Amino acid sequence: MLRVLLGVLGIGILLWGGTPYAHGQKATEMFIPLGQSPGVSHRVTVMGRIEAVSAPARTITVAASAGTWTAEVTDRTRIWLDRSKLRLPSQEGAFADLQKERLVEIKYEDDGRRGRGPAEWIKVEEPGRGLQ
Amino acid sequence: MRHLVLLSVAATLLSLMPLPGCKSMPPPPREPQREQIAKGKEVFFNETFNGNGRTCGTCHPAQNNFTIDPTFIITLPANDPLFVAEFTPDLRRNFENPRLMREFGLIRENLDGFDDLENKFVMRGVPHVLGLRTSVTSPQGPRTGWSGDGAPGDGSLRSFAVGAVIQHFTRTLNRIPGVDFRLPTDAELDALEVFMLSLGRQQDLTLPLPLKGTIAKRGQAIFLDNSLGKCNLCHVNAGATADFGGGNIGNANFNTGVENLPDQPPDLTGERVPPDDGFRTPGDGTFNTPPLVEAADTGPFFHNNAIDTIEGAVAFYNGVSFNSSPAGQALARVDPNGVGIRLDATQIVAVAAFLRVINALENIRVGIELLEGSLRARSPEEAKELRERAIRETDDSIGVLEGGGLHPESLAHLREARRLTKKAIHSLFFGLKHTRKAIGEQRKARALLVEIPVS
Repeated sequence: MLRVLLGVLGIGILLWGGTPYAHGQKATEMFIPLGQSPGVSHRVTVMGRIEAVSAPARTITVAASAGTWTAEVTDRTRIWLDRSKLRLPSQEGAFADLQKERLVEIKYEDDGRRGRGPAEWIKVEEPGRGLQ
Repeated sequence: MRHLVLLSVAATLLSLMPLPGCKSMPPPPREPQREQIAKGKEVFFNETFNGNGRTCGTCHPAQNNFTIDPTFIITLPANDPLFVAEFTPDLRRNFENPRLMREFGLIRENLDGFDDLENKFVMRGVPHVLGLRTSVTSPQGPRTGWSGDGAPGDGSLRSFAVGAVIQHFTRTLNRIPGVDFRLPTDAELDALEVFMLSLGRQQDLTLPLPLKGTIAKRGQAIFLDNSLGKCNLCHVNAGATADFGGGNIGNANFNTGVENLPDQPPDLTGERVPPDDGFRTPGDGTFNTPPLVEAADTGPFFHNNAIDTIEGAVAFYNGVSFNSSPAGQALARVDPNGVGIRLDATQIVAVAAFLRVINALENIRVGIELLEGSLRARSPEEAKELRERAIRETDDSIGVLEGGGLHPESLAHLREARRLTKKAIHSLFFGLKHTRKAIGEQRKARALLVEIPVS
């Protein structure tokens, strides 16, 4: 009986405390330059230049070495401006910063839906000398 | 007189040379990851990543169980990099709170973002990094740091150092890679991960232990009783994993109401300390479960160092803050009497005594391992370092037992082990002999805590 109760308790606790995948502390992620995020860059993220932006659909299409990828930009998506090559601090960005030709790195919310699902975060390289 | 000096020098040199025909100690076993661990150790304690001077070891010093507390902090010189906010103009504001660091061992973290440094921060204690091999894994992914989300990238222990460098090692609050610090390389992250995983216990205990002390034995029974102490539900085998009857679910997050304690020590100072919302942004109020075997000598306790003593930490679960929290309420819902956790004073002390004894047993295990390692050391320096670490472990075992008024007979052996180890460090000719005797004393001390034959 106790075992059953404890099982119920376990499920209950999991429902409120057993959160989905622990993605990691996002706050410091914004300071990591494009392509250098440990364990995800070049593995589960997509890097390429923005080919198209659809403001009504809130999507961007990116031309990467492995093809063309689309990402949905939701209210949850974090956008960061990577200005490390300009030796300037990274900044919070906005949808308006997702402009054609800009180099971006996209981490999808669900790595299994890479290339079509909502983005967890997008890093945008701030254009500077030698980057445009 | 001159002859005596020469003879003494010659004798010393001879003692350091291997004698042909004598049986020497076998070489240390070839561990596949030994070099990687050594490399990780070097990075952990010496690499500043071109930042403000801090290393991983600044907040996780080996000489203080890889954590910091006010008692340790006060021993540091004023120019220690831990206090970088006190002497670096660029870090004077919004990097640390020196008063809360010195008084409570608290570190400032911007876990919910860096867009409002003045107002968006939390103050957290420094978790030790012992026993990580048994405490980080969960089916939902790795859980590092106090809220289980302590790393950028893939959130793994390997990636943890990257977040730590950005948060704690920076020269200015701009946090520009290549200017304020450099990011760890893949090779450094690999080595750091291997080193951290090598620290402390490599496996969980299997409870119950055949303890000898009456109070500790009772404490263990309460700990394991799922209708009384209920501790083993979230701290299986006094580790950091949970099992509610359906199998071990690994390391898990809970909202235990620590943030609702009415008298938060940092708040009493009048310093501004925003509430800590735990896991994720915005937070869900949950924090992950630390292992308990190492608890008694690594206080203060909880993510905000709210409680100083292990007795107080156990008593927390008896209080209103826990019992009205989501975790306490969940326990109450499945209790036939609707009780979360209700222990009386003697029961609280007994559980704490149990935690003190298992901590001392771990200290003794490590102490013996270090002393045995010193017998196989490849250099006098290595032997000395291992013996000094063994002394620190012995000091800890003495401290945790003495602090609870436990096992005076075992304490006598531990003190003798300490004396012999110190003698081994200073002895030119009898280091091995004193070390072996010290190991014997450690074993005798252990045999008085738990039913293990003295070998």
